[in-house]
Amino acid sequence: MAERRNVETLVVLQPIAVDTDSPDREGMLVLANGLLIALLVRLDTPEHEQFGQWFMEVGLGRLKGLRTPTFITLDEATRWFRGQIRP
Amino acid sequence: MKERQSTVQSMPVRPHVSMAVGTRIMSNALTRKLESYEPLSPEDRHALDALVPKVRQVGARVDLIREGDEPENVLLILDGFACRYKVLPDGQRQIMAYLVPGDFCDLNVFILDQMDHNIGTISQCQVVDIPRKAIDEISTRHPSVTRAFLWCALVDGAVLREWLVNMGVRPPNQRIAHLFCELHSRLEVVGRVADDSYAFPFTQTEIAETMGLSNVHVNRTIRELKALNLIRIKGRVLTILDVERLKDYCRFTPNYLHLRNTRWGERRDVAWPGQTAVG
Repeated sequence: MAERRNVETLVVLQPIAVDTDSPDREGMLVLANGLLIALLVRLDTPEHEQFGQWFMEVGLGRLKGLRTPTFITLDEATRWFRGQIRP
Repeated sequence: MKERQSTVQSMPVRPHVSMAVGTRIMSNALTRKLESYEPLSPEDRHALDALVPKVRQVGARVDLIREGDEPENVLLILDGFACRYKVLPDGQRQIMAYLVPGDFCDLNVFILDQMDHNIGTISQCQVVDIPRKAIDEISTRHPSVTRAFLWCALVDGAVLREWLVNMGVRPPNQRIAHLFCELHSRLEVVGRVADDSYAFPFTQTEIAETMGLSNVHVNRTIRELKALNLIRIKGRVLTILDVERLKDYCRFTPNYLHLRNTRWGERRDVAWPGQTAVG
């Protein structure tokens, strides 16, 4: 099983509309190796300090309750999730 | 004095608005707060004035005392806002209490070998360091002041319990509205509210660190409270547009503040040991 360390987690994003009770509604389901682990939402309300960035609205499993940074790009978010969920 | 890095400066703009909205300022904040618990005589008031001979100005976001420090004096905030907080090894911060004008850090703090949390300013503050001896003296000679001090400690505990309830079971929008109502009540006692407006130097990050929420949720909630015409925040001043409506919105019950001049206050008169009755 030694070579298993070289296997990267496969992170897949799927677009989804989200009700946040605010204008922020563009979302992405985050799947790691086929399991749903988080929901990202783009901050589209101009008052946000991190306007335009991606925010982890919900984290599941070991991401639950984490206060996470926001991400400027989805690539950055994907890299971060890959770092969190190691195989 | 230790500078603390402020993570994010947010909330509306304008550089400085004085905390003292009303005309009565300085040592009156302490006297007014204590009088909200116990009637004080002119001698009591005079003795309290003598507690605050030397006031120092401290800038915003500066630590007054840190976890691990040995407490020497009682800290009294005469003007401005400060807070109690802890920081986890990963850098996450939790604010556990706000200190507003007239508030002490614990009156018996010098019993502790070392501080178990930090106290830092939020806005520019006027701070008084009261030596233990002065507290002992005033307690011996002025029983009304002693009782008012006891009230302070009880209410600090009650506020902490209410914050626990807030974090545990109130949804984010009511949680933040509740904080705004509480600040309104506490600041009104010490003459820092005018036209339902009070100084609001908090950053969005500080509110998030107080309420156990993310910046994003704080932002959305404040936006909602504004949209419902419950509050306005402009130039670092928060205005509650309809106090009764905001209180209804979050079901704010001020019983835990135990103020004398409220309908809740009338219920709390007790005969103290050694006294037949209390006014």
